[in-house]
Amino acid sequence: MTDQVNHTDGGKRLCSEELLDKLLHLKQYEVPEIARMTRNRQNIMREVRSASRNQRKSFGDLIEGCFPWLFAEPKYGVAMLLVAFAGLQYLSVNARHAALSDTGIYTSPNRFATYAQPAVTSTNAVQYDEISPHLRLFRERQKNENVKWVNYLEKE
Amino acid sequence: MVFDTGRESDTEPEEVDVPEEANDGPPDDDLVLKAQQGDVHAFDQLVKRYHGKIYALTYNMTSNREDAEDLTQDIFVKAYQALPRFKGKSSFYTWLYRIAVNKTINYRKKRNRKRTMSLDQFDNEIKLDDIYHDLTSKGSPLRNLSLSELQKKLNEAMQNLSDKHRTVVVLHDMQGVPHEDIAKMVGASVGTIRSRLFYARRQLQSELAEFMK
Repeated sequence: MTDQVNHTDGGKRLCSEELLDKLLHLKQYEVPEIARMTRNRQNIMREVRSASRNQRKSFGDLIEGCFPWLFAEPKYGVAMLLVAFAGLQYLSVNARHAALSDTGIYTSPNRFATYAQPAVTSTNAVQYDEISPHLRLFRERQKNENVKWVNYLEKE
Repeated sequence: MVFDTGRESDTEPEEVDVPEEANDGPPDDDLVLKAQQGDVHAFDQLVKRYHGKIYALTYNMTSNREDAEDLTQDIFVKAYQALPRFKGKSSFYTWLYRIAVNKTINYRKKRNRKRTMSLDQFDNEIKLDDIYHDLTSKGSPLRNLSLSELQKKLNEAMQNLSDKHRTVVVLHDMQGVPHEDIAKMVGASVGTIRSRLFYARRQLQSELAEFMK
């Protein structure tokens, strides 16, 4: 009698297990809408690209990555900056010397016309062209004129 | 934390060794390497490859498609952020699944009060399935139930399982993951997984008993 009951219980359990398997099998037919899934994938990739942009290293990070010793030992960093500064100064001085040339006006593709530059003597005095003697720089003084010329000596 | 590892659920998963699935296109390892070097397109291919599986896992765990979509998004973003720390000692698939399981359980804990079901529609191909015909035939105890009623009852019964039990049912009975792989994914022994599966199925049977008379 007991064996018969156990056999019946076992049969029921087997039956219910089989039914459960079949029900769980049907779960695979629950499928999402394709449009929703496409949108979801697009949202994921948008988030990923945004995260990727945030993860992208700045110039400072790049320098730190390439020259970690420069940041680990600040004195080396400062020394490096001084050397770089001195080097740039040296280069700029050389470049200034190399760039010196005569002043000129470009007149044709192959020729330069230069200004007549004032001649400079060894005393740094500038020589001007002489004015011809017949040229009058000031007019004659009139009799009734009250104008007094500066540095003009009047004889009473 | 639900699993036996004693670690926080949202942490990066421990890498375990599981044979990789056969997929079209370049192997996962190559895509992972490229993605680690900043190739977003390579990661896009990985997303396309595993999106359906991860969605199915989260959907069956939550029985809510909106939650499943949010979770799927969070899981892939989390995986992308954690990718530089992935050493390649195990398959990407296992690593991703472990993130998915931990994140889903954590999510459910946070939203414990608000549990509503939002189910996907059945595919029309179900009518071509022999098992569906068996269940709706005259001799079946479920013949008087509509398909949507069956779906609702099964999902309710699933939601009444504990997180541990539901995880093994979803992974083994719905996704076909072997016991050994589940054990590695959830950080438990194979015996524990078998035991959880046995008790989970017993509970499901008793939940659905009134429809199986």
